[in-house]
Amino acid sequence: MTRITAPKGVGSMSRPTGKKWLAYLKSHWLLYAMLIPGIVYIIFFKYIPMYGVTIAFRNYNGIGDISSAPWVGWANFARLFSTRAFKRALTNNIVISVEKLIFGFPSPIILALIIDSIRRKRIKKVVQTAVILPNLISWVVLYGVLYAILSPSTGVVKALLEAFGYQGTIPNLLAQKSSFRALIVISHIWQASGTATVVYLAAIMGVDQELYDAAAIDGAGYWRQLWHVTLSGIRTTVATLFVIRVGDLMFAGFDQIFAISNDAVITVCDIIDTYVYRIGLTQRSFSLATAAGLFQSATGLVLVLITNRIAKKMDPDSGLF
Amino acid sequence: MGIVNPKHKTIGDRLTNVFLGCCVIFIIIVCIYPFWHVIMYSLSDSRAAMSGGVFLLPRSFTLDSYSMLMSTQRIFNAMWNSIKKTLVGTSLAMVVTVLTAYPLSRGDLKGRRFFLLMIYFTMLFSSGIIPTYIQIKNLGLLDTFWVYVFPGAMSAYNMFVLRNFFATIPDSLSESATLDEANPLQILTRIVLPLSKAALATIALYYVNSFWNSYMDGVLYVTSTRLELLQVYVRMLISLTGSLAAVGEVGDLSGRGVITEDSIKMTVIAISVIPVILFYLFLQKYFQKGVTVGAVKG
Repeated sequence: MTRITAPKGVGSMSRPTGKKWLAYLKSHWLLYAMLIPGIVYIIFFKYIPMYGVTIAFRNYNGIGDISSAPWVGWANFARLFSTRAFKRALTNNIVISVEKLIFGFPSPIILALIIDSIRRKRIKKVVQTAVILPNLISWVVLYGVLYAILSPSTGVVKALLEAFGYQGTIPNLLAQKSSFRALIVISHIWQASGTATVVYLAAIMGVDQELYDAAAIDGAGYWRQLWHVTLSGIRTTVATLFVIRVGDLMFAGFDQIFAISNDAVITVCDIIDTYVYRIGLTQRSFSLATAAGLFQSATGLVLVLITNRIAKKMDPDSGLF
Repeated sequence: MGIVNPKHKTIGDRLTNVFLGCCVIFIIIVCIYPFWHVIMYSLSDSRAAMSGGVFLLPRSFTLDSYSMLMSTQRIFNAMWNSIKKTLVGTSLAMVVTVLTAYPLSRGDLKGRRFFLLMIYFTMLFSSGIIPTYIQIKNLGLLDTFWVYVFPGAMSAYNMFVLRNFFATIPDSLSESATLDEANPLQILTRIVLPLSKAALATIALYYVNSFWNSYMDGVLYVTSTRLELLQVYVRMLISLTGSLAAVGEVGDLSGRGVITEDSIKMTVIAISVIPVILFYLFLQKYFQKGVTVGAVKG
């Protein structure tokens, strides 16, 4: 952990290297000592499991040491891509996360623009507070809230429809295949938009006020100022958040889907994570599940690197690194 | 702010204002009403609430479902586990995060880049559910309380946010302390931390929120009821579908009026939502600040 290279420019130049090294260590050893808990944590909970991904290339039955399990190469991946369940999970995963990206990515931008246009400070504060609220609550609990709103017997939606004179039966949206993905996407937007909205609001506050004045003098109304000043002023933030979202494309929302899915809709919402959970921890096919997980992480990593590169090319200030 | 000049309002401007006003009302209703609904339902008499619909206030106010839910030991046990997880987890995570972020914020630390990359890589690539599960099993953490806190002992994201904040504290402050023969730990506790109270509060809130809300650890790594988390208990109750027989498992039915399954569900949701809402309303300025702090890349 404290493996360090010989420091340059520390201590007096005339001293021998060994002494400089000692002097550096004497004044800095405590800093390295402070790093120990964090680095030990990273090694034990992040890097050792990374060695564990080799299970994907072995035939591991869950008993005994990983490294003693026989090496089978790409066989698990071949098997994985031949199973219908995994192909279904992969398709659902991509469809759900692309839908979340298309419909979910613009919504915090729109929310931020609406909130920004409020002139009464108190209302602005209320709305700003309200949009984050769903983000603070566990998906398990949010599922219960959705149930309260959508329940076909006692829900709010039913009451509202009846108030408008609707007489027919109301489908159980929580268990109906045809609309379940829409429910996933909409509830995701509801839950997740708040935090990004606050980020965009901060970015909008950073836009130079003089630009608005200049645009107003040129006769630009609300919508044209919105397009030419506000949106163009926050494009770096938009690009950065976009990179983050695209990097997450392989992760379609385990917490959410695990909490709100049920057997009636499993065919349209089984994603890679729920698939890995089911075949790995319930059916104990460790190697196959690990292969699915590794495929997911590796693709995710590639996606981050590619989108970061593209974003950097388009706008050097954006991107993650 | 791109707002319409109030002196010369055209019809288009007025329409824009009406449209924006409607959007604002819609946003407030969508974000607040669902939680309000659940709380009001939980405070209503089961029979009066049965017809459903919109709840602006409780219908024939009663705390029956609360007293029924509270008549079992299980909910208190679950709540206590969640509170303990949040308190111990946040304390541990704060110590580890601060101790890691401070040295890495110092420009004079050799090997800093190596450690930063090592931590950054964990944000880009995760090993997945199964390898993590096997490691936790090998460490002997399955079905222990510690499985709730150790795997979340440091969030790389929070560490980077804090490190970037520490890096903005002028070096001159810590240099003057070094001349007085203070060691790095003393500089951290006497100079750096007192200057970082707002950032620390923000990060602590984020940890509290994630420890309180995460439930997958309770599903994946824990089987004993003794260690059950509130969220896992809520999940069990909400997914129950066997009318009163199931409710019987929840608590003592005798000597009370009719209490429907829906009332019990709404009550357990309300019990887990109300503390979070109160907590948030008191400390929301840190939440808002935190989101913005995190957005600054570095």
